[in-house]
Amino acid sequence: MAEYSCLIVEDSPMMRQLLVFALARVKNLHVTEADDGVDGLRKLASARYDIIVTDINMPIMDGLKLVKRVRSDPAHKDTPIVIITTEGSQEDRQRALQLGANAYITKPIQAPQVIATVKELLKID
Amino acid sequence: MTNSNTSDSPPPDLKRQRDEFLQNFTQGARLTEEFVREYDRVNARVRELEAENGLLRARIEEEDVLREMLQKITALEQEKRDLLSRFEKAEAASSAFSERFEEVENEFANLANLFVASNQLHSTLTPRRVVRRIKEVMAQLVGAERYAVYMRSPERTELVPIAWEGVEAGVLGPVASDDERFRDVTASGKAQVPEGAPTQGSVEQPAAVLPLTVDEESVGAIAIFSTLPQKTRFETIDFELFKLLGQHAAAALVSASLFEQAGRKLPGLEAFVDLSV
Repeated sequence: MAEYSCLIVEDSPMMRQLLVFALARVKNLHVTEADDGVDGLRKLASARYDIIVTDINMPIMDGLKLVKRVRSDPAHKDTPIVIITTEGSQEDRQRALQLGANAYITKPIQAPQVIATVKELLKID
Repeated sequence: MTNSNTSDSPPPDLKRQRDEFLQNFTQGARLTEEFVREYDRVNARVRELEAENGLLRARIEEEDVLREMLQKITALEQEKRDLLSRFEKAEAASSAFSERFEEVENEFANLANLFVASNQLHSTLTPRRVVRRIKEVMAQLVGAERYAVYMRSPERTELVPIAWEGVEAGVLGPVASDDERFRDVTASGKAQVPEGAPTQGSVEQPAAVLPLTVDEESVGAIAIFSTLPQKTRFETIDFELFKLLGQHAAAALVSASLFEQAGRKLPGLEAFVDLSV
């Protein structure tokens, strides 16, 4: 059975905890948490991740900058990225998708939707 | 001369015999011919009958094969029906299992939401952070767009807004404890959720009002004026979250405020003496 790793980049401890709880339902998926974009990039530089789930609105470095930086790095140019946005932020969502994000989830997040999106991108049955 | 002619002619007896013989011979020849014809005819009929017999035998054999094939088809059709029936049963069982699995997954997600909400509310003793966590729960888990958190004044005459989202500060202000929007909720300690789309609520007619209690005493309320556009109705999990917020939000807020007032000093051991029941 293949093992997968996921990096969650989210400044809200509550959202992080919710995402960790949701993704704990995906077998063989190991989750790492990052507080913001800078922390996320630091973690991406030191380990390989199969998928990234990131919030858009974060201090220090937001999700859009993170998506841009990740896509410009040859080591992660193909890593699937899921962005988490609020319903009203269509512009951010479009921008993130243009920058190379693969999918988006709208807040308030629903665990089954998070699981389904991650499984689909990782091609897990 | 007469004798000569007479001597050439056969005697009458012979002539008669000859005629009889010729007659018999002719009849025999005719009979033989008839026999030969009859033989040919019978022979042809025999061949016809043999051919007919062959055809009939082949047809019977074909019919046997056909009957056997029909029996096989009947058996296969029965087998197909059995398999379809088993497949339908398996599909129904699989569908029931999938539905149950989905229910369990949703239940798990709901429990996770409740756990996370409770955990987050009590994971800090800074009033500002508690308020931020309450706001996160309201926005991320309940899906509230416009709401306000009210605490009761020490005189118990007013409810004072201490935190809000999506509304102008000037719109809100202290309201009388017996304000009709809050009166029943603070008296009964039970959430009030009027019928109608929660997206369409307003400050004057909130989509939901939740009591905030500490030790079963009402100390405030949360008014949800309206929800996010995609949150078109409250689900079972929302009512569970309302209960959780009612019982935990105020307790967390009061604890954090008392801790702040105490200069963020942990109480001495004497505070925990004789607590065991």
